[in-house]
Amino acid sequence: MNYLSEHLSPGGRHLLDRRNFLSNSATALSSIALTSLLSRENLLGVQHPIIDPTRPYAPRPPHFAPKAKNVVVIFCAGAVSQLETWDYKPELIKQDGKPLKGGPAVTFQGPAGNLARPQYEFLPRGETGKMVSEMIPHLAKQTDDFAFIHSLTSKTNTHGPAENFLSTGFVQDGFPSMGGWVSYALGTENQNLPAFVSIPDPRGVPQASVNNWGPGFLPAEFQGTTFSASKPVRHLSPPAGITPGKDHATRSLLQRMNARHLEQNPGDGKLAARIASYELAARMQLSVPEIGDLSSEPAHILKSYGADDPSNPTKAGFAKNCILARRLIERGVRFVQLFNGAYASGGKLNWDGHSKLKEQYDVHAEILDQPAAAMIEDMRQRGLLEDTLVVWCTEFGRMPMFQKGARGRDHNPDGFTCWMTGAGVKPGVSHGVTDELGRKAIQDIHPLYDFNATILHLLGLDHENLTYYHNGINRRLTNVEGHLIREVLA
Amino acid sequence: MQLVSAAVDFKSEVRPIFEEHCYRCHGAKKQKSSLRLDVREAALEGGEYYKPNIAPGKAGESNLIEFVTGKHEEGRMPPKGEGLSSEEIATLTAWINEGAVWPEGIDEVQLEDRTDHWSFKPLKVFKTGRSLDSFIIAELREHGLTMSDEAGRVTWLRRVYFDLIGLPPAPETVDAFLSDTRDDAHARVVDDLLDSHRYGERWAQHWLDVVRYADTHGFEVNTPRPNAWPYRDYVIEAFNHDIPFDQFIREQLAGDRMGKDAATGFLVTAARLLPGQIGQDDASKRLARQDELGEIVINTSEAFLGLSVGCARCHNHKFDAITAKDYYSLQAFFSGVSYGDRPMRTTEGEENRQEVEKLAESIRGIDQSLAGLVPLARSGTMRPAVSAKLNVERFPPVTTRKVRFTIRKANQYEPCIDELEVFDTGGKNVALSTSGAVATASGSNVAVNRHELHFVNDGKFGNERSWMCSAGEGWVMIEFPHEQTIERIVWGRDRQGKYADRLALDYLIEVADEAGKWHLVADSSDRYKQEEGGPSALNGFSPEQADKAKVLLNKKTSSEARIRELEAKRLVFGGAFGKPEAVHLLNRGDAEQPLEEVAPAVLSAFGDISLAKDAPESERRAVLADWIASPDHPLTARVAINRIWQGHFGIGFVETSNDFGRAGAKPTHPELLDWLATEFIRSGWSIKEMHRLITLSETYRQSGLINADAQGKDADVRLLWRFPSRRLEAEALRDSILAVAGQLNLKTGGPGFDLFKSRGGLSGFPPVESFAGEGLRRMIYAHKIRMEPDSIFGAFDCPDAGQSVSRRRQSTTPIQALNLFNSQFVIDCAENLAKRVKFEAGEDLNACLRRAYKLSLAREPSDDEIADALPVVREHGLAALCRALMNSNEFLFIP
Repeated sequence: MNYLSEHLSPGGRHLLDRRNFLSNSATALSSIALTSLLSRENLLGVQHPIIDPTRPYAPRPPHFAPKAKNVVVIFCAGAVSQLETWDYKPELIKQDGKPLKGGPAVTFQGPAGNLARPQYEFLPRGETGKMVSEMIPHLAKQTDDFAFIHSLTSKTNTHGPAENFLSTGFVQDGFPSMGGWVSYALGTENQNLPAFVSIPDPRGVPQASVNNWGPGFLPAEFQGTTFSASKPVRHLSPPAGITPGKDHATRSLLQRMNARHLEQNPGDGKLAARIASYELAARMQLSVPEIGDLSSEPAHILKSYGADDPSNPTKAGFAKNCILARRLIERGVRFVQLFNGAYASGGKLNWDGHSKLKEQYDVHAEILDQPAAAMIEDMRQRGLLEDTLVVWCTEFGRMPMFQKGARGRDHNPDGFTCWMTGAGVKPGVSHGVTDELGRKAIQDIHPLYDFNATILHLLGLDHENLTYYHNGINRRLTNVEGHLIREVLA
Repeated sequence: MQLVSAAVDFKSEVRPIFEEHCYRCHGAKKQKSSLRLDVREAALEGGEYYKPNIAPGKAGESNLIEFVTGKHEEGRMPPKGEGLSSEEIATLTAWINEGAVWPEGIDEVQLEDRTDHWSFKPLKVFKTGRSLDSFIIAELREHGLTMSDEAGRVTWLRRVYFDLIGLPPAPETVDAFLSDTRDDAHARVVDDLLDSHRYGERWAQHWLDVVRYADTHGFEVNTPRPNAWPYRDYVIEAFNHDIPFDQFIREQLAGDRMGKDAATGFLVTAARLLPGQIGQDDASKRLARQDELGEIVINTSEAFLGLSVGCARCHNHKFDAITAKDYYSLQAFFSGVSYGDRPMRTTEGEENRQEVEKLAESIRGIDQSLAGLVPLARSGTMRPAVSAKLNVERFPPVTTRKVRFTIRKANQYEPCIDELEVFDTGGKNVALSTSGAVATASGSNVAVNRHELHFVNDGKFGNERSWMCSAGEGWVMIEFPHEQTIERIVWGRDRQGKYADRLALDYLIEVADEAGKWHLVADSSDRYKQEEGGPSALNGFSPEQADKAKVLLNKKTSSEARIRELEAKRLVFGGAFGKPEAVHLLNRGDAEQPLEEVAPAVLSAFGDISLAKDAPESERRAVLADWIASPDHPLTARVAINRIWQGHFGIGFVETSNDFGRAGAKPTHPELLDWLATEFIRSGWSIKEMHRLITLSETYRQSGLINADAQGKDADVRLLWRFPSRRLEAEALRDSILAVAGQLNLKTGGPGFDLFKSRGGLSGFPPVESFAGEGLRRMIYAHKIRMEPDSIFGAFDCPDAGQSVSRRRQSTTPIQALNLFNSQFVIDCAENLAKRVKFEAGEDLNACLRRAYKLSLAREPSDDEIADALPVVREHGLAALCRALMNSNEFLFIP
């Protein structure tokens, strides 16, 4: 009987350094001990991914048969107004300029002004006749395929904590991101690429920055790797001055040093894992530049995404990131996070339309719309949506009033819209309702926990069962909350 | 004869109702809101919020009935589905009214006593004469294992160097130790290391991990916390001076009472939202305050007690005997603490304060003299053109309560003013909001934390603290609380000189008389136009005055620099202490649902020490510190000694070193843990004594080699049949690379050096690629950006200072490999090591190889290794070998 299996505490479970445990088990661990350990965990209703330290990104089985194998999350930073996009409110047009009865006198930034009509016209779209604004004509064409959730809520009205909440399920800094959780649970199909890639917007990093792709307290393997079509992976190749020959000779010398050291310290899985990590790094050195090289993409593809548009370099940059996202999915990367919008900037560089919403959204919509729509369409044509879930999200919504003395809307965490499409998603659904002015969710209210639980479900993961022990508790992406939004499931 | 219906039977009639409708959420598996209906005592009492659940004989007073009938304010139970039938409700009602008879012995489970937990019990008492090793050997024997042979001397030496100071031994140290045949040679090495300042720089990091120390505030803006570092230095010094651990606790909680102001940095290490990031609505403010206080409770309970009290903020703790009321009672000890800087009241601090006052006085004098050199407005003399940086308007003294600055035209866009200063005849700026002056404006464009109206008179300069007009023209007005006699106004667009757009070109400055009538005191009409050139404007002086002014200005600049230097030494981000706020138990942790007020009290499972609701602020923290730092507290010494053990072996007896509760791991060696805790207290809580005890033990001196048999029985080495080798942590790795390269800068203390070229905002944190000077200091002295990992060593499981890290993970990732193999930093260090080797070993390649191995691995290379490396060195240079060595497993692992 292995010492470890006797000493499992109620919460301790996989704390035993599983990676050591299993790697070292290669030498001598009895299968009885392993079976005992695993059955004990099953009794506790907890299933932990078993991670081979020499192959931390090896594909791992989900909890149940998944509908989707990969995800692209289009993350619109700065809080996109639901009222200018997907949540049509004819009553707001009628009440334009009137005060909101019983509404808050003070919102996030200060005094509230009067109700303001949507800044774009809305038109019925597709067979469902869904009313979607003219701000996003390309995406609007695809609404028959989307499942909208109009009644999401956040726990905070501050961007940074709200992005944390959307990406990690907690408003605080330092919790694992969704991509981290997913790559921890499932690994990835392609062993030459990272499991989780986070693509920053050409304009800069989002508000909560690394919180959105950090590993939190998960092992560092599950941190998102950041690169974009224009920004390579850091340290992917040696600095100038190191010739390929020198680099190769040094690498082989290192390999021989490590091999000799392992011979003298036989059976140490940690040493073997480090050796393996250099091999994976070497494979990444070849595969990452290849995937970021869009020169093989035909002209009509570049054109359809808007990647060839010299008049709008930001749009072209985002379009190239969209192509990169598709290429990553094609090669089996598990989780791709695609940012649209950057840091706080008075609404100039992201969706934070406080003062001049219409003129700023004209700019942002142009950047988002065609490239994102083309990516989804391209993925559909290639059959990628059979296995891939596409999620569009933003950290919260905006108020139906303009701010006093301004022509923009303040933060509103009480009712906003996100959508998903692709594998496992029921097309053409509009679920949840906000009140007639779009101030608050009033029916089928879903905190973002539910949204995240649903994404995990589509990947074959039970959000209550995907846990990691940290400081006294088995932590989850959904904290102690979360209910599936079954209405959007196919 | 009387007809009575048969009494309702619990087992056959009541319990089936519970089973069908309730046990899913209120049974053995789950107890939502801490309510369970499967155990008599608990079912009668009720859950966390609503009691009693069942009042025998009184269905009308039983929350249970309110819930099942849907009359309860929280809504109907069960929340989903049809709910209970009217028959079922009638059965329950009748059963309660009949006295709620619930027979003894019928329950399938019994309530467990959650305080019946090993770590809540007093330390075990031992007979004298036991040794550390005897406990380890006994446990090994129990499992059919034995200790490994003693490690080689060099292995032990490298181990204890990395362990105690986080740096490798120099070749000379290795040789000296190898030839030291004295019995106490090992003890001498340990003493030397513990006397070295390097020791505190290594061990302070373990503590800073737990308290999630950082030099920024965190969250989206992540602005610097410029006065955090005195706390970091305090921790380093506390380790170096071997401050008794009980005193270390007291100082961190209440150091302001003990002349240790920097120590209370502990209270406020967490991330926080700055006022501008918190919603202006009251609910947002209350939530933010609760979050701040919550972090203090989390820090205190996890770091000292190994208990996750923070989990009880919304509900009673799921596993441990900690109630939500306990959480708020503990919070009440801190309810007068707010996040902020505080002056350090050291002798040096007081001297600094006096010097700052003197300098400020002399600057006011200089300003007065400078002002005399500026031509008067409206005097007929043409004045220099408007400058984006600074403009001075001087006029004959006038008495008024209001000054209005009207802009009629700007060079571009809506005009912007970063600061509007109004000086009285004594040279004092009377426009500051801190002196009660209020700013109003025709309209303002607001960008939070950048352009806000109140920034126009907040005493802070630059675009980031400026007012922007809402239109191309408009006005801003300062109203004083009472009349002032003024003679000078100073204003600028951006005194930091980055921006020159949005500059007011055509403007008027007026003052109001008692009747409210406006009188012009200065305007732009007598200034040269910008395009005309005119005299060059040195901060508003005429050219003939500029020379005189230059002298004064230089003096002013140096005085200001000195003030900044002194101020930086004077303050610590150690929390500001004010009148304690009333603390309420919050329903489900929601600040909008306060329940009864609570007084400061220690965790109820451990006693009943409490204070009055109006107890003075600092007394609260002192009382709490005394309770925690007591030798009788069952957790404090255990938690501390477990952290020390973890520091040496990479893992403690209790693997979950922040969690000694029921969800945490059980100790591998409970007796040894207690014995060491007792020895720790007996030594006067001396951490250094514990280091001596441990590093000189046989257990610690074992070989780290794996033997297959023992591996099969205890693969994770929890029983310590060998020394568990482990990878160096991020900081020790960077420091060791620099040390070997001969580059390590041993400067101690003070503000941190930058790992990044710029701090935050749109461009994020672009990393410094090549380091020099300060950048070569030990990594504990880096300006620690919360959440933003160092671009090379961050990937080596370096904590992000978001959540407490109780134990570092040992991940292995391809990103680590890329960073270590390809970063400019390591390439530079390899070059430097190569240079050092050549300098020390001369031109002979064999000698160079041997020196490189000795410096980096503390040993000579084998013939095989020389033969292997020589061709590479010949063709590609020594630096190639050095780069490989710095990437090698042997270099990275504590042996």
